[in-house]
Amino acid sequence: MKTQFNRRGALARLGAVLAGVLALPVARTAKAAVQNFFTSSGAPKGYDPTEHKWLICLDATKCIGCGLCAEACKKENDVPQGPYYRTWVERYIITKPKPGSAETRGETLVDSPAGGMHGFPECPVPEDQIEQSFFVPKLCNLCEHPPCVQVCPVGATFKAPDGAVLIDKNYCIGCAFCVQACPYGARFLSPVTHTAEKCTLCYHRTTRGLKPACVEICPAEARIFGDLKNLQPDDPLRKFYESNRTQVLKPHLGTGPRVLYAGLDEEVR
Amino acid sequence: MRRFRLPPQILRLVLLTLGIVGTYLVARTLLVPESFGAYGWYRGAALEEIASRTPVFAGKKACAECHADIQHKLDKFEHKTLSCEACHGANREHALNHDVVPTTVPGSLCLRCHEANPSRPAWFKQIVVKNHYGDKCTDCHLPHQPSQSP
Repeated sequence: MKTQFNRRGALARLGAVLAGVLALPVARTAKAAVQNFFTSSGAPKGYDPTEHKWLICLDATKCIGCGLCAEACKKENDVPQGPYYRTWVERYIITKPKPGSAETRGETLVDSPAGGMHGFPECPVPEDQIEQSFFVPKLCNLCEHPPCVQVCPVGATFKAPDGAVLIDKNYCIGCAFCVQACPYGARFLSPVTHTAEKCTLCYHRTTRGLKPACVEICPAEARIFGDLKNLQPDDPLRKFYESNRTQVLKPHLGTGPRVLYAGLDEEVR
Repeated sequence: MRRFRLPPQILRLVLLTLGIVGTYLVARTLLVPESFGAYGWYRGAALEEIASRTPVFAGKKACAECHADIQHKLDKFEHKTLSCEACHGANREHALNHDVVPTTVPGSLCLRCHEANPSRPAWFKQIVVKNHYGDKCTDCHLPHQPSQSP
């Protein structure tokens, strides 16, 4: 058999290859558009997690224990009914020392009925027996070195570049290792999805330029939220950490929380 | 001279190795999510998925866009730190579409914060209900200007 190799055929082939090369980016754009159409999630566009570094400050001397934060969090994030909280308020009651004992204080009672969502029942200790009593708001401590991330066997939980510790629900297998590992008790297994759940720093709000629901709703300004990478000169965050002596919870664990507290007592864990 | 020929067992080993590596590479491209590694050792698209929830609370700024007059009043009095939705309830639907009637939260809102409780900070104004005058808070206090009477 004799192969025919003429000019017409070669040009046609060259043209086809060129057309193919030119069509490639068009096809890619089309594919991206189609994917975008089907996976469009309503997520805010233009949010770059590497451009932010969030910080939460909590002023325990200002918390009035109304529990609006816990209630707002449940509503905002559709947290399952029952004893599941992404943020909650604890009441500390420290009693007076027994007469004659060489102690500075007596027992410490801590309670958080329904996460403080509906306020607190009457004090179980008569008022003249109370040495000190106060409320402490709690939530995920946004650790710089999160133990929950370290123990996850499937890599479903991670620390985003903006400081939020998040869970990829599609990959969580619900083993609850992270629930045990969190020293702050900030995680739980959702009875609905059977995956781990925690404070997302209201990621759907912060990426839209809104404050987290608990910060937004706090009537006493006990919760302050801000972006360390985009600090304004009159930022409440700056004012807070410049004018308060702050501390973190369980510093000995080396978790490096991004949640700063002011006015904590040594009894608070 | 005899031509060099690869021994058949070596050829089989090479083919087997290529097969295993090839299968691994194909499986990897199929199994690893597209956005994996965008920010770190996790699926980058998860961030967007988590962010795709619809907010429930509109935020004080959104309220002030239309209700600036009330906001100005509020700012001059003790309740200036309050968010509108703390008392009026979450109303993002209303903020986005003014035709939606805002939800209202029924009473006992004042006492949620102001009922006397030894755990509350001392600077915070509290009342013992049975020692306080009247039945209704709003008979004597304007909610937006609590130190003024209607």
